[in-house]
Amino acid sequence: MLAVVRSELTRLGQPRLLAIWFGLMALFAAMINTIMVTFVSGGGSLPPGAPGVAFPTLAAMESPSGLMAGLAAASSLFGVVTLSFWAVATAGDYYSSGLIRLLVAAEPRRWRLLAGKIIALLLVTAVATTVAAVVNIAVAMPAAGAAGISTAAWGTDLGEVVGTAWINLYLALAVWGVLGLVIAVLARSAAAAISIGVGYLLVVESMIKLVGGAPSDWLLGTTLNAVASGGTAAIAYGTAVALAVAYVTLGLLLAGIVFVRRDVTD
Amino acid sequence: MSVLATTDLTRRFGAIIALDRLTMDLPSAGVIGLVGPNGSGKSTLIRILLGLIKPTGGSASVLGSSISSPQTYTSRVGVLVESPAFIGSLSPRANLVSLARLRGVPLERVDAVLAQVGLIGRDREPVKRFSLGMKQRLGIAAALLSDPDLLILDEPTNGLDPAGIVEIRELLRQLGRAGRTVIVSSHQLSEIEAVCDHLVIVRFGELIFSGPMSEVLKRTREHIDIAAEHDEATQPLLDALVADGWTVSASDGGLRVVAGASRAADLNRAATAAGVTLSRLAVGQDNLEEIFLAMTGRVDGELTRDRHLTDVEVA
Repeated sequence: MLAVVRSELTRLGQPRLLAIWFGLMALFAAMINTIMVTFVSGGGSLPPGAPGVAFPTLAAMESPSGLMAGLAAASSLFGVVTLSFWAVATAGDYYSSGLIRLLVAAEPRRWRLLAGKIIALLLVTAVATTVAAVVNIAVAMPAAGAAGISTAAWGTDLGEVVGTAWINLYLALAVWGVLGLVIAVLARSAAAAISIGVGYLLVVESMIKLVGGAPSDWLLGTTLNAVASGGTAAIAYGTAVALAVAYVTLGLLLAGIVFVRRDVTD
Repeated sequence: MSVLATTDLTRRFGAIIALDRLTMDLPSAGVIGLVGPNGSGKSTLIRILLGLIKPTGGSASVLGSSISSPQTYTSRVGVLVESPAFIGSLSPRANLVSLARLRGVPLERVDAVLAQVGLIGRDREPVKRFSLGMKQRLGIAAALLSDPDLLILDEPTNGLDPAGIVEIRELLRQLGRAGRTVIVSSHQLSEIEAVCDHLVIVRFGELIFSGPMSEVLKRTREHIDIAAEHDEATQPLLDALVADGWTVSASDGGLRVVAGASRAADLNRAATAAGVTLSRLAVGQDNLEEIFLAMTGRVDGELTRDRHLTDVEVA
């Protein structure tokens, strides 16, 4: 299995792909912190169902965990980026160029190929999460200061706050990524996987939330946002993690069966 | 030991039968040509042998192991299936390193195969900048990476310039002489004729011929190509020769007569007797292409592919 993971990591070592992935994570971390502090300090609140982001209250921003609030606030945006890059790494050159033929011919135990790819992508996702966390910390402090938000409590339990935020975001992004991989395996196309993923988050889930009375706490974006936030008023952390695990298990089961059994005709 | 054996190997795609109870037994060592018209089942056969698709029926073994467990033999098999496939933004070296790691091959082999196909010096450029011929070389390098006992190469000279074709032809011969078995699937019959020791011909998923190349070439016939001095005399000449008992067919710009060199003078006299002066008379011999066309037909295999499941079931 180690050989498969190392092989996959070599293929993932595409400078442009990684630069775009990490660059987008850094960009969103910087952007969301800048917008968030301005918005929160001005007493604004987002309308229900606003796609992609969930801003904290001013009190939450001024608490010790306020330093890392940007990661949770933008978790869905980070999630879409992660979903997209997992989809590209799964289906990008693989099905369009026929690389999948070469790989399956070299390692016919297809479940190994799939597991190796997931492990390799989880490792790269850890780096991407770290990039987002570092940029978040670098931008949050001066942005909060400029917006007049008190940062006096931000040094309290710093290691725990940062570590918890990192782990929660990483768990959420891992689920986003796995779902990108699942859709890419099923669709055999990165573009289709990204369209479906982004379309779901920005259109389908937002529309469901906007329909009055419709139960929406279990929806994917809501669930993963709760995981990234360490739990929300609507959904407890433990419930969110359990739901996320259920989504991942179901998706991997489906993708695994299809990937192992399907003819490689591309 | 046979390198590849199939028994009643069948694969259906819906109503289409790609392989129809294919039974064959190929010897190990040497270069084996796998030829057939488009849609004859060559690619399907290769994909089944590599574990990419599963057969609908029958059985097969590669290097003595059943295709139901491809992991038992794929480490000993190198492949180039259809077009070479790599990650364009990575260098040839990185692409090969990723494959070497996947196959558990020592990384020193990467340099060895890059040198073998002449890519040292270009091995750090992104593959997307490569021409088709360069990619083809890289595809062959990938196939050679595990120093395999069996090489399966689909159109290995596709995109190569004449010098590259000669180079790859010599490489295939060397591999065959070194005790490896190389199965070459190609539409370029001159290539097959030049390098192969053994020939397999399939059509509509059925085996037409499997045997030594020398046996196929025994089927060649001598012929004499002639042309009348004036085009309008071609048809009267053909009629006269047929009436005289010659076997004649229209050929490029003239006529082709089935006859050996010893009858060239007789043919010339027969033309003169018919009042036609010949401007060309050339003795030749059928090549593999002509034998192939005689065995498989002169129309694109996919266009004539009308054998659907219902036809077979009725039969």
